[in-house]
Amino acid sequence: MTRRPKVLVVDDEPDYLQIAARIAARAGCAVFTAATALEGVALASAQKPDMILLDVGLPDISGFEAARRIRKVPALAAVPIIFFTVRSELDMVAEGLKLGAAGYVLKPFDPDELSRRIKAAVLPA
Amino acid sequence: MTLTAHCVTSDAGVSAFLKAALKGFRLKFYPSAGAFLRAAPGGGLAVIDAFLPDMSGRDLAAVLRGDQKTRRLSLVLTGAGPYSPAAAAVCFDNGADEYFAFPPEPRLFRARLVNLLARSCAAGPAPAEKPAEYRFKALLVSPEARTAQIGRAALKLTALEFDLLVYFLRNQGRVVSRSVLLEQVWRQGMEAGLRSVDKRIEALRYKLGRPFGSKIKTVFGLGYIFKL
Repeated sequence: MTRRPKVLVVDDEPDYLQIAARIAARAGCAVFTAATALEGVALASAQKPDMILLDVGLPDISGFEAARRIRKVPALAAVPIIFFTVRSELDMVAEGLKLGAAGYVLKPFDPDELSRRIKAAVLPA
Repeated sequence: MTLTAHCVTSDAGVSAFLKAALKGFRLKFYPSAGAFLRAAPGGGLAVIDAFLPDMSGRDLAAVLRGDQKTRRLSLVLTGAGPYSPAAAAVCFDNGADEYFAFPPEPRLFRARLVNLLARSCAAGPAPAEKPAEYRFKALLVSPEARTAQIGRAALKLTALEFDLLVYFLRNQGRVVSRSVLLEQVWRQGMEAGLRSVDKRIEALRYKLGRPFGSKIKTVFGLGYIFKL
């Protein structure tokens, strides 16, 4: 039996966390969730997810900083990270993509698009 | 003068179409949203593919429209065919000047791009704003005049209901949670309470009547989605 891809969703906004988790689950993934960036970094280190959906405006440290810390874990150096956020300023988006993000999705998002991006990130080409 | 078009696409088919349809243009290709944002040209015309490897075309349009440096670009969005009015409306709402289902008819595509470039050169760059009004069949909503009508009958909406309707129109096809509505429409965080969102949406559905009110759908446990 093939293993289900593991997806970590990090968002402090419960509704978005639930929506994104549900979309990832419907895409066939095993989902882990965290409501803070530091919790997300710890969960990522422990679970070694196949991709991470990461909010940018988190209460403790930013999603960008969390991504930098996650990338320092050797096993997660190349894990696909998709930022999903209300932050649409050009500089912010450019910085996120420069961090090697697999995607940048603006909230409120189109569920179909998020699902497509999750599948593209976790399924082999 | 050589016309320049910035082409943001990772799709070989779209690239080939653009090279054929825009012969004589100077074409600059960018394989991703990130590559285009690094260049961030301040003027001219950009043709943006709907589904880029790192971002959707419509999200990229919203980002470009929101920035002082890039807001004056003429933006042409292409979507995967067949033509969808709803997809086109979302693209226009995010700031697109033109929208084409792919593949468009090459001569029409070229002519409209030439016109767009000519207008932007002649009139000088004009800042793009949100659409002045939304029209769907008999429903007409003007955010600036703060009027909404179905046919000739004006809708009697409260200020909050009107703001809610405009927010839905600007975010068609997207799930919006109740707490996001509280933040974006009520602008007072959670104090108003999630129940007040449900009540106000019920009132808005009732006032819109069945044909349009039914377009505000409840996504159980998540929030609402507005699809026309």
